[in-house]
Amino acid sequence: MKKFLNDPADFVDEMLEGIYRAHPQVTYVNDDKRCLVVAKPKAGKVGIATGGGSGHLPLFLGYVGDNMLDGCAVGGVFQSPSADQMHEVTKYIDQGAGVLYIYGNYTGDIINFDMAAELADIDGITVKQVIGNDDIASSVVGEEHKRRGVAGIFFVYKAAGAAAANGLSLDEVTRLADKARANVRTIGVALSSCVVPEIGHATFSVGEDEMEIGMGIHGEPGISRKKLAPADAVVDEMMERVFAELPAGKGDEFAVLVNGLGGTPKEELYILFRRVSQLFEARGSKVKYVWIGEFATAMEMAGASISVLKLDAELDPLVAAPVNTPFFAHYTA
Amino acid sequence: MDAIRADELIGLFQSWRDLFAAERDFLIALDGKVGDSDLGITMSKSFAAAYDTVAAEGAAAGLTKLLRSAGAIMAKTAPSTMGTLTATGFLRGAKALEGKDAIGTAEAAAFWRAYATGIAERGKAKLGDKTILDVLDPVAGVLEAQAASGAALAPAMAAAADEAEAALERTKTMKAQHGKAAVFQEQTVGLQDAGATVGVFLVKAMSGYVAG
Repeated sequence: MKKFLNDPADFVDEMLEGIYRAHPQVTYVNDDKRCLVVAKPKAGKVGIATGGGSGHLPLFLGYVGDNMLDGCAVGGVFQSPSADQMHEVTKYIDQGAGVLYIYGNYTGDIINFDMAAELADIDGITVKQVIGNDDIASSVVGEEHKRRGVAGIFFVYKAAGAAAANGLSLDEVTRLADKARANVRTIGVALSSCVVPEIGHATFSVGEDEMEIGMGIHGEPGISRKKLAPADAVVDEMMERVFAELPAGKGDEFAVLVNGLGGTPKEELYILFRRVSQLFEARGSKVKYVWIGEFATAMEMAGASISVLKLDAELDPLVAAPVNTPFFAHYTA
Repeated sequence: MDAIRADELIGLFQSWRDLFAAERDFLIALDGKVGDSDLGITMSKSFAAAYDTVAAEGAAAGLTKLLRSAGAIMAKTAPSTMGTLTATGFLRGAKALEGKDAIGTAEAAAFWRAYATGIAERGKAKLGDKTILDVLDPVAGVLEAQAASGAALAPAMAAAADEAEAALERTKTMKAQHGKAAVFQEQTVGLQDAGATVGVFLVKAMSGYVAG
């Protein structure tokens, strides 16, 4: 393992110290660096909180900023933060309009966010939840509630953030976030493993000439492991599964996110997007918004994921809205 | 004792604290067979914090406020799954007793029913999954029957404690479905579940306290 570390036990907290030094638009509450919040909350706005394990930057904390999220509870590498940390974030970001939790579908996160919501309820803060479950490789159609949340949560954040910035109520922000959630699908492919700093060796191994389609962002087993195919063939196989669930016909409009898992160069992501774009074009569908880069990583895992959001008249302007966060800025002309 | 009022509740938390301190190493060893050994630490820490909190707030805070404060501090102190579940139980129990200032047999039944339901919901567990629920659900059932027949709190809790022991024995035949123990499903047969053991301790301490 070659990593830039001091003591592996300090990995998360030293990362956070760097974040706070680099990005004064975020700060922390309760004297706990793992309770990250916007430095200047907007009065009267619905608060949006997220949270989850470390090891996925820019996910989750990287999207706390203008017109996106207001707070994030930060866990250890691939570990849930505590209910108490989530509760502290909740108290700070509530401006009287309630708080929406948006996070991925993982057992530890669910237990702790549920608990935090119960603690917030005692304080008189109304909390709603939308749980990302976009990873189509993690369970079959009909069992979507078992699917993990991965990079597609980016679109849920963006839709909810824009809705809250527009001054909508907690119920409306929740409805729109849930609509984005229901209309996004993601599929990933891994070429190599990740290394958890405190463990110090690869979580799993993928052969030199192999790929694993559908692997999770913590190394959870995927759908199939096979010989690495040419990029176009890999995209074709992945997108076939996406199109099976999100039909793309003539005139349909989409937003696409091609996400690097940490160890794959952007050049390769563009090679993948080239093919994704061709497939939409062949169907007469339009890719209206595109983001390519690292949005939800798994430490140094080589690989990529493709997230697709089906747009409609309601979601389109929310996805198009400008945002400015430490890890993601989107300006419009 | 035929009812637990705010004053006695503080004493009950002291009993729980003392019991979980005494059983800390036993629970660590039990959990270590199939889990990650943190259960004894979680329980002793969270009940120590709960007792300190309710003792500091004092009886004047009232029965349900004390239960709520205990749940909240437990969630803060021990952010492990079992700590969160135990905390949930106290918060839900507090809700079920809203407006009451004493726990008699009917209230004890309502408390443990809400406790068990809260844990089932939060932990997404069902009966037979080899969890604390497999102890607390039959305990609530016994207390409901005792309340229906008009039994006083002490004998009702004694019956509940007997049922808890019997229910724990029954978990030995079950296969673990949750947490780290689920990885060892087959090997868990024959072992008593660590979380279920916590359930027995909770009920037995309460029974012992009201008998005294």
